[in-house]
Amino acid sequence: MARKEITIALAGNPNSGKTTVFNNLTGARQHVGNWPGVTVEKKEGSLSYEGYHIKVVDLPGVYSLTAYSLDEVIARDFVVDENPDVVVDIVDASNLERNLYLAVQLLEMGAKLVVALNMMDVAESRRYQINVKELSRLLGAPVVPLVATRNQGTQELLQTVVGVVKDNIEVTGMRLQYGREVEEEIAKLEKVISNNSLSKKYSSRWLAVKLLEEDKEIIKKFEEAQVG
Amino acid sequence: MDSEQILHAKDESLAHLKRVYGDEAETVIADARYGFISGLLKDVLKKPAIDRLTLSDRIDKVVLNRWLGIPIFLAILYGLFQLTFTLSIPFMDWIDKGFGWLAEPASGISPAWLGSLISDGFIGGVGSVLVFVPVIFLLYIGLSILEDSGYLARAAFVMDRLMHRIGLHGRSFIPLMLGFGCNVPAIMATRTIENPKDRLTTILVTPLMSCGARLPIYALFAAAFFTAYQGLVVFSMYAIGITLAIIMAWIFRSRLVKGEGGHFVMELPPYRLPTIVGVLTHMWERGRVFLVRAGTIIFSVVVFIWLLEYLGALEPIGRAIAPVFTPAGFGQWQAAVTLIFGILAKEVVVGTFGILFAVEEGALGETIATQLGWTPLIAYAFMAMSLIYVPCMAAIAIIKRETNSWKWPGFVIGYTLVLGWLVATLIYQIGRLFV
Repeated sequence: MARKEITIALAGNPNSGKTTVFNNLTGARQHVGNWPGVTVEKKEGSLSYEGYHIKVVDLPGVYSLTAYSLDEVIARDFVVDENPDVVVDIVDASNLERNLYLAVQLLEMGAKLVVALNMMDVAESRRYQINVKELSRLLGAPVVPLVATRNQGTQELLQTVVGVVKDNIEVTGMRLQYGREVEEEIAKLEKVISNNSLSKKYSSRWLAVKLLEEDKEIIKKFEEAQVG
Repeated sequence: MDSEQILHAKDESLAHLKRVYGDEAETVIADARYGFISGLLKDVLKKPAIDRLTLSDRIDKVVLNRWLGIPIFLAILYGLFQLTFTLSIPFMDWIDKGFGWLAEPASGISPAWLGSLISDGFIGGVGSVLVFVPVIFLLYIGLSILEDSGYLARAAFVMDRLMHRIGLHGRSFIPLMLGFGCNVPAIMATRTIENPKDRLTTILVTPLMSCGARLPIYALFAAAFFTAYQGLVVFSMYAIGITLAIIMAWIFRSRLVKGEGGHFVMELPPYRLPTIVGVLTHMWERGRVFLVRAGTIIFSVVVFIWLLEYLGALEPIGRAIAPVFTPAGFGQWQAAVTLIFGILAKEVVVGTFGILFAVEEGALGETIATQLGWTPLIAYAFMAMSLIYVPCMAAIAIIKRETNSWKWPGFVIGYTLVLGWLVATLIYQIGRLFV
């Protein structure tokens, strides 16, 4: 089999154990640089698995993907601009409510998402019962339980990532309903957006949502598109 | 499509959504995400029932219980009024005796008009209001304890479910609760409500919350007509106020100021043991206003009323209005006069009775009963009228300032007059069938 290159991006909230997962995946094959143009640290690493050469990019730890902080913009731009083959979202299983917010936003962007349900041991010690299958079904994305601190689940995670790349595992995503009135406005905006050059790169639904969120970066992109 | 057109379309959509939701689209979208997640977690995540409960959590489990929450809240309020009344009796007796002791030599002062001004006007009018200072201060101590301990936030949380059903948010309940102290700061406190429609509705119903200035009226009649059930009768006034506020809020929200309500998470601060200094400070902040009013507005209004009485002008004014109140049982000119001047400040209702009957404070209630021929039922209808009809001048002025138009204060005057008359009439007419 020919060696194939794939890129995966690691996303996740701060303190979700993202760095530990990154170390588990890449071991010593890491190098640290900066994100282009900014002084935010960018960590990359690589590994080989089942004939794939996998490049792993560690995104800044963020809670959300708005345009309010540099970290959030970097994480978002990477997912949109570099279009990684898979985005792995490290989710703290003991704090699902807050952590899933990022996962939902990644799915809204249409990312090929794999949810790594980390800190399963903490969740279990608190006697939380998490129905992993149901979570995966409702999100429309594969979910892999992990205990990164004990390097448990890393193989399963890699299998799932490769499965997604091979199209053996489907990431259908979910279509979030924002409420009738908001949906009507999204539909209107999608129609006017669909002919704009930006819609070649981004989904017009996502652009419409971002416009309604008054996302600085996206508005700027529209303004630039006008000049160019 | 041209970017300029897209950005223009975006602004139109945003303006439309802002109108519909009364909130930024960004917030609505974020709420949709959180809504999705919490709905999802209901199916996916099971937490153990006993999840390392803190003391705060354990108290909340009872206090915020779906079925027990509202009864507990009402029981706490009821207990508060019972305690307030029982504890204040000795203090009120002392003040009463003090004024009685002053009135005797005062009435002998010559010229006769000056003697009358001092004994009937100051002592009868202002004195009859000041007698109730202990009740008010004790109630304020109780309210401060509820607020400082963190219970008031729980009360709002408990009411949140009910408030949601009427289209308001529990956050509106905090200003309403503050209305028990005084409606003016309560109306100002509505500024914390971010949704303008929720805020307007809250402003419109806050005057139905029974404030400290109305307490002397209840205390006067409860003591004279309902000796054994004072606490219960006064508590029922507060309950009528809350109930009407909720009903009217529902009517206003569904007819007058339609539109989506705000979505918030109700914050529940941890319980704290209130400090004595903190409670006394809060009591003083609230109670001071009452004393200042007694010394300024009540004092001058009372002098004015005394003058009208001395000139014999009160009776014609009262007689012109009184027939309106006949269906409610209190169609006597004296009652009408007190209600008219009560618009200036609610304590004045009691003060005016004091001038009209010019008796010792302790005997004022009984005198009203014998001279006007009032029954407990009429007294109760009158108390309800006093609670509901037009809040005081200060509240009207603050509504004008906060809504920035005369439309809403005018509306409040109108609807509270009609509602007060209706409720008093209903109480009297239905009550008559049984008593």
